[in-house]
Amino acid sequence: MRLWHFELRLLLRQHLAVVAMGLLALLTSAALIAGLVEVDRQRAAIAAIPAAQAADIGAVADYVDRTKDAGSAAYYSFHPTWDTPAPLAFAALGMRDVSPYILRVRALGLEAQIYDGDTFNPELALPGRFDFAFVLVFVAPLFVIALFHDLVSGEREAGRQRMLDALLNGGRALWQRRTALRLALLWAMLSLPFTVASLFAGVTAGAILIVLALILAYVLFWVGIAALIGRLCWSSVANAATLAAAWLVLVLIIPTLANVAINAAIPVNQGAEIALAQREAVNRAWDIPREETMKRFYARHPEWRDSAPLGHEFHYKWYLAFHQNGDESVAGQVRAYRSGLKARDASARALGWVLPSVGAQVLLTRLARTDLSAQLAYQDRIREFHERLRRFYYAYLFSDRPFGKADFEGAPVFQETSGD
Amino acid sequence: MSNVALIARDEVRLMARNRVAVIAFVLLLLLTLVAVASSWAHQRSVAELRARHAQAAESAFDAQPNRHPHRVVHYGTFIFRPLGPLAAFDPGVDAFTGNSMFLKGHRQNSANFGDVRQSSLLVRFGQLTPAFVLQVVAPLLLVFLGFGAIARETELGTLRLLMLQGATRQEVIGGKLLALALVALLAGAPAMLGLLAIAGQPDSLLLPLLVLALGYAGYLALWAVLILLVSTLVRRSRDALLALLALWAIAVVLLPRIAPDVANAAIPLANRLQTDVAIARDLRALGDSHNPDDPHFAAFKQSVLNRYGVATVEDLPVNYKGVLALEGERLTSSLFDRYASKSFAAQSRQNGLVATVGLLSPTIALRSLSMAAAGTDFAGHRRFLEQAEAHRYSLVQRLNRMQADDVSYADDTAVDEGADRRKRVSSANWQAMPDFRFEAPSSAVLAGSALPGMAVVLGWLLVVLILLALAGRRLGVSR
Repeated sequence: MRLWHFELRLLLRQHLAVVAMGLLALLTSAALIAGLVEVDRQRAAIAAIPAAQAADIGAVADYVDRTKDAGSAAYYSFHPTWDTPAPLAFAALGMRDVSPYILRVRALGLEAQIYDGDTFNPELALPGRFDFAFVLVFVAPLFVIALFHDLVSGEREAGRQRMLDALLNGGRALWQRRTALRLALLWAMLSLPFTVASLFAGVTAGAILIVLALILAYVLFWVGIAALIGRLCWSSVANAATLAAAWLVLVLIIPTLANVAINAAIPVNQGAEIALAQREAVNRAWDIPREETMKRFYARHPEWRDSAPLGHEFHYKWYLAFHQNGDESVAGQVRAYRSGLKARDASARALGWVLPSVGAQVLLTRLARTDLSAQLAYQDRIREFHERLRRFYYAYLFSDRPFGKADFEGAPVFQETSGD
Repeated sequence: MSNVALIARDEVRLMARNRVAVIAFVLLLLLTLVAVASSWAHQRSVAELRARHAQAAESAFDAQPNRHPHRVVHYGTFIFRPLGPLAAFDPGVDAFTGNSMFLKGHRQNSANFGDVRQSSLLVRFGQLTPAFVLQVVAPLLLVFLGFGAIARETELGTLRLLMLQGATRQEVIGGKLLALALVALLAGAPAMLGLLAIAGQPDSLLLPLLVLALGYAGYLALWAVLILLVSTLVRRSRDALLALLALWAIAVVLLPRIAPDVANAAIPLANRLQTDVAIARDLRALGDSHNPDDPHFAAFKQSVLNRYGVATVEDLPVNYKGVLALEGERLTSSLFDRYASKSFAAQSRQNGLVATVGLLSPTIALRSLSMAAAGTDFAGHRRFLEQAEAHRYSLVQRLNRMQADDVSYADDTAVDEGADRRKRVSSANWQAMPDFRFEAPSSAVLAGSALPGMAVVLGWLLVVLILLALAGRRLGVSR
């Protein structure tokens, strides 16, 4: 124990080491705070929905109440959906800055609504967020380089290596002690602020432990690289340069190259094509006999087929039916689009198994529920909710029930699946 | 041969003998080539895809059968933002903004289907483009090649020898700087040649090309001078390397990420839900076209009747429903414009804040210079959004005008069996509608918008040059 104590004192007498540790703790804390602030902002935006929505729906209700037309209610009512950030979202914001976490939908064609985005400043999104995942994946390795590049070579250059090797408790045990000490300190600078922030944000113990293990594994990976290069017995300068080059390749160049390769290898039929096809399908209904539309609709949704036949006048049940027909006509393309996105995502995850920088990002965004899977899960919840909306309005429209002010309160309310 | 040239030649020779340096240099060249090729291919396929989509959307619009004009208001049109050739050099925010937009009446849609939501999470690690290579990778290579230029001589004591042999301090520094500048030039040249190739017909883009070349040359020169400055100030090469790596990490990696987060937190943007709700509220306050007793629309109706000198809307020579649609669209559009300007102004303030941080990090300044000259910055996107809205408005109002003039009020309000056919206007009208054509900014505008970033980069260059001159005067003085 005394030896450990002396090693610690020795380490703390190095300016570089002390400054590096302090800086890392500072950057980690700053990133955590930035993440918490952002997640807080998103929660506040979600919390502000009911107030804004109440006034909006109130005005629609006033208008619709004059005609009691369920179709107008369906047409003019926007229903909010939202995606509350998971407790760990502050640590890895993932796609939450470029994908909407609030989306209002109507009971009309969903494919024309579900790809809409929210307002964000693209220049701010371009460089990526300053969050904990960034500090861990990009910044922490630089600190490993600063502390480990001269672990052995520094002593050799100072002429002390032979003496240290010859000491009792020297040699291997000494290098192991020094490595473990530095590793533990780096780990603590990342982990302590993270744990505090996580407890504050109410992250489960299990998730905290996984991230703590991830931090250790990732830092250990870089310590391993530094040790490997250290074995080549080059000068401290050469070690530092080689390690920095390795950082550049592993953290920046391979992921960007892989991105180009994945996007080229897995073409995704553009979402714009879905939007174009859906619009054609929807608008065609105005130019074909209306019975054709209803026949097609009833064939798929026989529960409404007992509804009264259409007259000459416009009827919203026809309007909503052709919107749903339009959605259904592009269902195949939607599935293909979605599986293309998933295939791209799966390739990136596969790369994560061999490339720790990507692996750490993958694991963090998964735990934080901010990755593509989480976005698609949100879209699934929107689809499920939209289905309920349709059924709600259809029940009025297809039986020509009047839709009064009180009926607005019976409309489905978006519900998030609990917890994760 | 002058001393400067001799020292420079020696330094370059030393670099060439350093195998690691040569490998790193070759790797940089390869990376540049890959970046130019892939980025160029990507830009061309994207540009081609969007042109194809745009054409499909236009012919679908033209091929519509006879329709009621208001149907066409809702049928709307899809437009696609074209991608200029310089986007292959620096695609800027292109992947982060939607590139297609659905334009229809009464509603302002978001631009959708940006690459960022269609790619794997790797896209957030950065995009491999010539701009990325020059902004991020090239400075690091220069650091590796140049950190020891003077610190090494100081550390080994060879600096004294050099000076004893008659080289002045200025000559030593000048020679080393010349060598590093030469390497920087070689490192940047392939990307610049790629840029020339990408631009295709360089005369039309001459000014932005010049600005880009000057900006990146200034940036790499800045790094060369900075590296020598640090190498002059510290005594050991290891310290020089660590200090330079730290500077690089802060200026290139850290600050460009921190600044946007600060801007995001300091200047909030209204989200779409709040904006939509606010627009609906303001619209109700202006006038509710659904409400027969609404004062604004009652007055409007009276003014239309007065203008034509008739007593009822049935007597009007034009279709009142069309006239009403014109007025309604005018009101909503004015609100769209007002809220869009508000949002644009907030985003500009955010970018201004990032630019202020750019005073500390030349990389931020260079990035904004580069995107501005390539036309792929926020201003470029805004240009698209504004032209899209102008096109949307004029299209919708043409259709509303058509409803007012070509569809009679009696037909428009009839509900008998044949009414649907009588309400329709000829399909020949759709082909006569103008298509959306994005008006690219002129060379001068692009180059001009890059000037603030250029000023920062060149200002930094000037500052480090002065510092180097000051530091050089104390070179070799024992401390």
